[in-house]
Parts: sequence; C-alpha cells; structure tokens
Amino acid sequence: MTMDPEQFKENLLVYGANVHQWPEDIRQAGLEALETSSELQALLAEEERFEGVLTTRRYEEPSRDLAQRIVSASQPKKKKRWPSLVGFFSELVWEFSLPKPALTAVSVSLVFVLILGFVIGFSNPIGSLSTEQGQTDLQEFLYYEGEVL
Amino acid sequence: MWVTREHPHGAIVFVSDHGARKIIENMDTGFSHLDDESLIRQIQQGNHEAFAAMVNRHSNRFYRIAYRLVFNKGDAEDMVQEAFLRLWARPQLWNPGKQAKFTTWFYKVVINLCLDLNKKKKPQELPEDIELADRKPGQDALLGIHQEQALIDGFIKELPERQQLALNLCFYEGLSNKEAAEILGIKVKALQSLIMRAKTTLKEKVKRHQGGGSI
Repeated sequence: MTMDPEQFKENLLVYGANVHQWPEDIRQAGLEALETSSELQALLAEEERFEGVLTTRRYEEPSRDLAQRIVSASQPKKKKRWPSLVGFFSELVWEFSLPKPALTAVSVSLVFVLILGFVIGFSNPIGSLSTEQGQTDLQEFLYYEGEVL
Repeated sequence: MWVTREHPHGAIVFVSDHGARKIIENMDTGFSHLDDESLIRQIQQGNHEAFAAMVNRHSNRFYRIAYRLVFNKGDAEDMVQEAFLRLWARPQLWNPGKQAKFTTWFYKVVINLCLDLNKKKKPQELPEDIELADRKPGQDALLGIHQEQALIDGFIKELPERQQLALNLCFYEGLSNKEAAEILGIKVKALQSLIMRAKTTLKEKVKRHQGGGSI
C-alpha cells in the first residue's frame, strides 16, 4: 500500500506529527512514503514545529485539594436545628478538639462555677442600701452633734 | 456534620460532630481494583466511598478539558465540581445500556457545563501587547512566552466551537478519533474533518502572525 503526498498531508493533520503513533493500518505506508520523499520530510518538520507552537498554550494545574473539595461538597448536610445549650457546648468542645474527657469535664465545671458565682452575686446583694436607709444615714451624718475627733 | 481532615499519610478522614471517624485511604479503599462502570454502579446504590474513589481517579483528567474550554482555573474547577455533584445527586443519569463507557459520557457532561458557562460569560479580549512597568533581566523572555500563550489561546478561541472541541479532545487530551467522535456525537470522518479545518486555520493564523514565512 502506498500513500501519496496529499493523503500523507491529511493524515499528518488528523493523526499528528508522530507517524509512529498513527493507526496501524496506515502507519507503515506513512513511514515508507516519508523515507522516499524529501517533500514529505519537510512537511513533517513543519508539522512538528506547528505542534510545538500549539503546546505552548497556557495551562494551570488544578488545586491540590480539588478532589477533596468535591467529596466534601457532596457530603449530606445535617438539617439545622434550634441551638441548644448542650449542643452549643458540645460543638464548642468538639471545635477545640479537647483530647480527653477529663479535660472536657474540668472546662465544663469551670464554666458552671462561673455561672453559679454570677447567680449568687446577683441574688444576694450584700452591702447594698435601700433609698430610705441611705437618706437616714445621710441625715445622721450631717446633723451629728457628738464629739468630733 | 461530616468534615474532612487530611491524614498524615495522604488519606482523607471524615470526622463527624460526635467524633466518629471513617478513613478512606487515598479515597480509594477497596475500590482501586474496580473499573469505572462497576464504581458507578456502587454510586448508584448510594455508596459515597465509591463516589470519592471516582472523584479521586478522574477529577484531574476532567479538569484538563474544562480548563481548555473555559480558559480559567477557578471556573474549570467549579465546572468539574458541578459535574461530579450532579453525578452524585443523580447517578441514574448514566445508563449502562445507552453509554458504553463512563468517561465518554462524563466528558459530555463536563463539556456541556463549560459551553453553557461560556455562553453566559461575556467574551473577553485577550491583550495583544502586555506592557510591564519596570522590566528586569529575564522578563523579556517571560513576556514573550506569555504573549505567545495568549496569542495561541486567542486563535483557538476564534475557532468555531466544534473545531475547538475536536482539537482539545484529540490533540490536547490525546483521545482516539473514535472516542472523540462518540463524545461529540458525530461520525469519525466528520471529526477528522473538524480537526483538519481547525489545524489548517490555526496554521494560517500563526504563519500570518509570524510574517508569512514558514512556522
């Protein structure tokens, strides 16, 4: 089987400048035609240069985490519920990834003691005076007639 | 909620609210021996690990064709993500009776998404000349490379859509004419004609740009 220059040119465009990668049924004929014709050799050289130009085309590699991102995005999302105090603390504890249950218990206890302190502080106002009592004390102070040291 | 964390050995670890963990080694545990068609059957049964394996296997390949079509990294990644999420949401769309090969079908999905995006986007003019304020040694060569890249991109963008697709699939992706023709839904002869026309046009444009001489 022989290949004329026109066929060779077409195959060059369709299958590219690497004749060794042409389909099996035309490869041998292509190589034989190439060996005997300097015109075809020049065509091949031109095609190689052209393909070299085409391969200079800009390309950016994908982000390294592309696959990971796609898989994460496909995870079923949990329905949003009303926030509860336990849920909030559980999420908070999880977010900071406390390693041991003991540490978690200590943190929760500290928060509890803090809240308890506030509650006791507000419910038992030691040292606060009623308005009436405050006025009486002021009068006693202003009109004190006793001994001044 | 499940979040992913990277394992020191490159595995992907899914961690739930309550600390439950499932590790998918390289997102391919137990699935690396399966071919695409078997994997998608698993996906159709709701197997998320099979889906992860599929994404891990093919995301870069489909990113390449998406990038060649939308000319932008961010958009290309979004298109690939969108295509895979559609696959996960509706895996029954792949019908083994109709489509012989998963990748052939999925190329169509990605290509269609990219073409839709291109239709929505305004055409952008590629800069003919890029000027740098202060040129340093070595920048001239870099500038030359960037200009050449922009030029080739510009020439390819000017090709008719089908010629661009044929060129991208066969020349840049290295697919066989038969597979590319199947993706585009045309006959092999028609595909070859598209490649020839695309290359001939590009060759003329490159020659004209280089002053009419040989390339």
